[in-house]
Amino acid sequence: MRVSVYLAVPLMLLLAVLETAVLSRLPLFNQTPQLPFLVALSWGLLRDLKEGVIWAFVGGILLDLFSVTPLGLTPLAWMVAIAISILIIRPLTSSRVILPTLVAALATILYLGLGMLLLRLFGYQVTSLVTAVLLPMAVLHALLILPIYWLMYLADRRLSPRRVQV
Amino acid sequence: MNMNDAPQRIRWGIVAFLIGLAILLSILDSTGRLEGALNFVRDPLAAILSWTTARTDGLLDALSGPRDLQEARLEIERLQARIDALERENEELREIQGEAQILLDLFNRARQSPELTRVTATVIGQNTTPGIRSIIIDKGQLDGVMVGMPVEAARGLVGRVFRATANSAQVILITDSSSAIPARLGTSRAAGILRGGGLGGSMVLEWLDLQYQLEVGEVVATSGLGGDFPQNIPIGRVTQVDRREAELFQRAIVQPAVDFDSLEIVFVITSFQRLDISVFSDVP
Repeated sequence: MRVSVYLAVPLMLLLAVLETAVLSRLPLFNQTPQLPFLVALSWGLLRDLKEGVIWAFVGGILLDLFSVTPLGLTPLAWMVAIAISILIIRPLTSSRVILPTLVAALATILYLGLGMLLLRLFGYQVTSLVTAVLLPMAVLHALLILPIYWLMYLADRRLSPRRVQV
Repeated sequence: MNMNDAPQRIRWGIVAFLIGLAILLSILDSTGRLEGALNFVRDPLAAILSWTTARTDGLLDALSGPRDLQEARLEIERLQARIDALERENEELREIQGEAQILLDLFNRARQSPELTRVTATVIGQNTTPGIRSIIIDKGQLDGVMVGMPVEAARGLVGRVFRATANSAQVILITDSSSAIPARLGTSRAAGILRGGGLGGSMVLEWLDLQYQLEVGEVVATSGLGGDFPQNIPIGRVTQVDRREAELFQRAIVQPAVDFDSLEIVFVITSFQRLDISVFSDVP
């Protein structure tokens, strides 16, 4: 657990810079996927809900440093969305394709909805966000999480190889 | 979830602590109490961002010309080693030409209004948070950039400085939902408030008096009222007029003149002649 937390800071810093400097210029279907969010979500599914929440906190804070939104608002929305979606979907299926896809879609909807609510609470005017972004982002994240989940699965296997009884 | 289990309690304790910490940070930051500490962190991050953006731009420029790359490959077959050098030179010249065109546009813009003092800045990042439209530039307080200063590009108004650190600044775009700018139409001379539309990319000019006959295609520019922006900075063109006789005011949909997705270099207007309205605020 400790190694994974130390890993979160440099990895999320790299992803936040990539998100802001590179991905923002290469939108997919007019949407920019939130890479740090998907990585934190995958890690939470693979390891433990707590670790996913810690990664979401680190990633969200770093992303907020490049944003005009108040620091802490993005990690707050990410943490709540990741925790709720994993808690709801995990008991329903254990499939390595269906589980991340459903969790990503639900977490994205929760994160965007909560994010917008929080932005409004902090005095930001966000009007057409729900209708314009929610569904395409949920679909995009549900598709993109599969390769990310697979990569994180390989990373997880390297960090903590499974014990096999012979 | 068995909360009597000690590891479970610790787990949920950490989750609750992080959520509480995020709420606390949001409140402290929105009240401006983290400004100094965050600026200390943001400056080195802006340097990293600047470096990454420069590499990304180079790569994207190279990828944007596939036809030339194909031609170059054919030449490579014929001329082998020599063409490598020519291709490199060609790409460099193309990039320089692109930059020169941007600078020429900016120079022409600056020449149109020499009374404004400007600082040239490079765009080093864009906010990807859905619903928020902002960019990060590589000039900050040390270059004279302060919060509230207007920002323009060669084709027109971009936004205003929302937050400034020593060496970088965040600019909230005119298309952001929170943006409200006093604006005037070029032909009909009707004045109103231009609001950002958020995600759609277009803006809405509101509170226009029904006595004005608005036309599609009219140029929209800053009116200078309120003193936050200089007068006559182009903003965009009217694409649709929403006029209902039963209402007191009409409104117009405005398409911005600036392509915010391809912004590379901008001007921060550091000083301009504000409209003096202080005489009207004196209580007799």
